[in-house]
Amino acid sequence: MAKQPKSAMSRALVRRETISGYLFLLPSLIFFVGFVIIPMVICIVNSLTDANMNTQGLGNFVGLKNFIDLWKDDTFLEALKNTFVIVIVSVPTVCAFSLWVSSAIYKLNGKLLSAFRCIFYLPVVTGSVAVTVVWKWMYDNYTGVFNYVLKSTGLIEKNINWLGDSKYALWCIILILFTTSVGQPIVLYVSALGNVDQSLVEAAQVDGATNFQVFWKVKWPQMMPTTLYILVITTINSFQCFALIQLLTSGGSGTNTVMYYIYYTAFKLTEKAGHFGYANAMGVILAIFIGLLSALQFKLAKEK
Amino acid sequence: MHGSYGRVIMATVSLKGIKKIYDNKVTAVHDFNLEIADKEFIVLVGPSGCGKSTTLRMVAGLEDISEGDLLIDGKRMNDVEPKDRDIAMVFQNYALYPHMTVYENMAFALKLRKVPKEEIDKKVREAAEILDITQYLERKPKALSGGQRQRVAIGRAIVRSPRVFLMDEPLSNLDAKLRNQMRAEIIKLRQRIDTTFIYVTHDQTEAMTLGDRIVIMKDGYIQQIGTPQQVFDHPANIFVAGFIGMPQMNFFDAQLIADGGHYSVKVLDATMELAPEIEAKLKAAGVGSKAVTLGIRPEHISFSGENGPHCLTGKVDVSEMMGSEIHLHVTAGDRDVVLRVPTTELSAEHKAGISYGTEVHFTFRRDLIHLFDPETEQNLLPLENA
Ligand SMILES: Nc1ncnc2c1ncn2[C@@H]1O[C@H](COP(=O)(O)OP(=O)(O)OP(=O)(O)O)[C@@H](O)[C@H]1O
Ligand SMILES: [Mg+2]
Repeated sequence: MAKQPKSAMSRALVRRETISGYLFLLPSLIFFVGFVIIPMVICIVNSLTDANMNTQGLGNFVGLKNFIDLWKDDTFLEALKNTFVIVIVSVPTVCAFSLWVSSAIYKLNGKLLSAFRCIFYLPVVTGSVAVTVVWKWMYDNYTGVFNYVLKSTGLIEKNINWLGDSKYALWCIILILFTTSVGQPIVLYVSALGNVDQSLVEAAQVDGATNFQVFWKVKWPQMMPTTLYILVITTINSFQCFALIQLLTSGGSGTNTVMYYIYYTAFKLTEKAGHFGYANAMGVILAIFIGLLSALQFKLAKEK
Repeated sequence: MHGSYGRVIMATVSLKGIKKIYDNKVTAVHDFNLEIADKEFIVLVGPSGCGKSTTLRMVAGLEDISEGDLLIDGKRMNDVEPKDRDIAMVFQNYALYPHMTVYENMAFALKLRKVPKEEIDKKVREAAEILDITQYLERKPKALSGGQRQRVAIGRAIVRSPRVFLMDEPLSNLDAKLRNQMRAEIIKLRQRIDTTFIYVTHDQTEAMTLGDRIVIMKDGYIQQIGTPQQVFDHPANIFVAGFIGMPQMNFFDAQLIADGGHYSVKVLDATMELAPEIEAKLKAAGVGSKAVTLGIRPEHISFSGENGPHCLTGKVDVSEMMGSEIHLHVTAGDRDVVLRVPTTELSAEHKAGISYGTEVHFTFRRDLIHLFDPETEQNLLPLENA
């Protein structure tokens, strides 16, 4: 009985706090709803219509037709395959490489460490167009540095058309994606490694662990949250690989990706004439894949 | 108990001229010499920053030894990796692996040594039984209280039956009650597992109750090594005298007067005779009349009913009732003197405490007076077993 007035009061207090909390959130909430939630809803609704450049407004409702058509669209299937190749190759290599680099450099003294961090982070902060243009020059068939070096060392006889040959083009793009993706994971891993409780490491050493065992049995589990974050952002980045394709191959020579195909379908004047509904359906599918993969990563990380 | 822990383990540890200089040129430990016998319980004690942890970490191999030799069982260990030293360590913050359950924490070292599963299980459960943590084996350390974590940390060390058991202030994160309880358990544990212990603390009670021998350190130097009794009865210098004992020993500037074979001390306006055995020692050491620092423990000061030439007079400042005794702070001259008076020795009117400003007369028990050289701060009386 004595408790009731108190809890009643605190409930009123809680309500007041909740209201002011939401009020503080309001500005960002408006932007979030206006520029994220509403477009997402429009996108989903739109994917169920035949909206294109010629139709007015939302277009006609066609049910799941777009989704069904997609699975018969060879271009889409190829783009999907390429996208998965990029994700499956780049995510593990980015993670493994950044883990390797950061475990090699995190114990260095301040200046040297900063220098390394700077080098690896540079491609991240440099505009992607600038980076890509430099790579385009390096890959160039006639004047590129790769062909020059390979030819002068006698490794190849004829120039390789790196970006024009579907044997190489996708891998060339993965390489660029890799260099621009490792910066952030390295910085994150360096700080995660530095934050591992030193006394745990010492306890493990006294318990009889070799350096290798200390790393995998003590440090690695401590870094799981960082690894998860890195996995998810790298996955999303790889799925959404677009600028590179747009600038280097425009989806040619076997480098089409879902992201690029969405853009191509929606905004290029094709025989489908800016088929928004169709493009949005692809967007929904991409979102589902990203969501599923991220969920899977969360689940695996939790089990660890 | 011995048998159930398998192999018979022997471990003497000797530290010979050990020195530690950190990268920032701080010399944390100077010329540390100590021979630890097999199954001995050694306590390193001293104020914060005196180099206790550094010494322990050098034994563990977590810190390089700058100079000197560390031998375990006669083998030089300076360049042996921690994992190959066969020692176990309990850390101040427990350092339990947060991603492992209590069971996995305790099994970790054995797993690394590829001990068969059944044996690991047996050892872990046995240790858990001893430490009374069986019901927490499946929990993660996060879900345990400080005292329980403490037990797990000890458990992780004892499952290994190491040659040497190192503990760095294992009880300092616990509250007073739990600390007393765990201290008693460590004493029990020690009897059960019977191996060589090096225990670091800054708490003199822990040092006195746990150690076979105590090493008292200050500023990286060993001040005295001895049994609890030795360091209490014969502190080597003023620092040790002040560090061991609660409340602290009282110190006075005094004048030692040698008169033929007899000695007396003049403290403030009192002159006290010294006990014959002290006189004999002073004589043997050839000490003449000189200025000295006199030390007397609060419990070695006694009331005297009336004033006399061998008595000091002072006014009561504070009287602290501790239950079975009173800690009396008395101002004599310009000095604050602390007396420990058992309540049984007090008259009825003073039982509840002695009021502020009361004039009291007291004298020192003449066989328990300590004399130090004011310059070197060393004890003037030669130590018995040193
Ligand atoms: N990694 C280090 N680098 C430089 N100096 C250090 C380092 N570790 C400790 N020291 C210094 O060495 C001295 C001894 O430190 P140590 O940790 O051994 O003290 P301690 O006796 O264990 O003290 P506490 O009771 O506070 O734990 C201190 O002066 C400390 O500042
Ligand atoms: Mg310490």
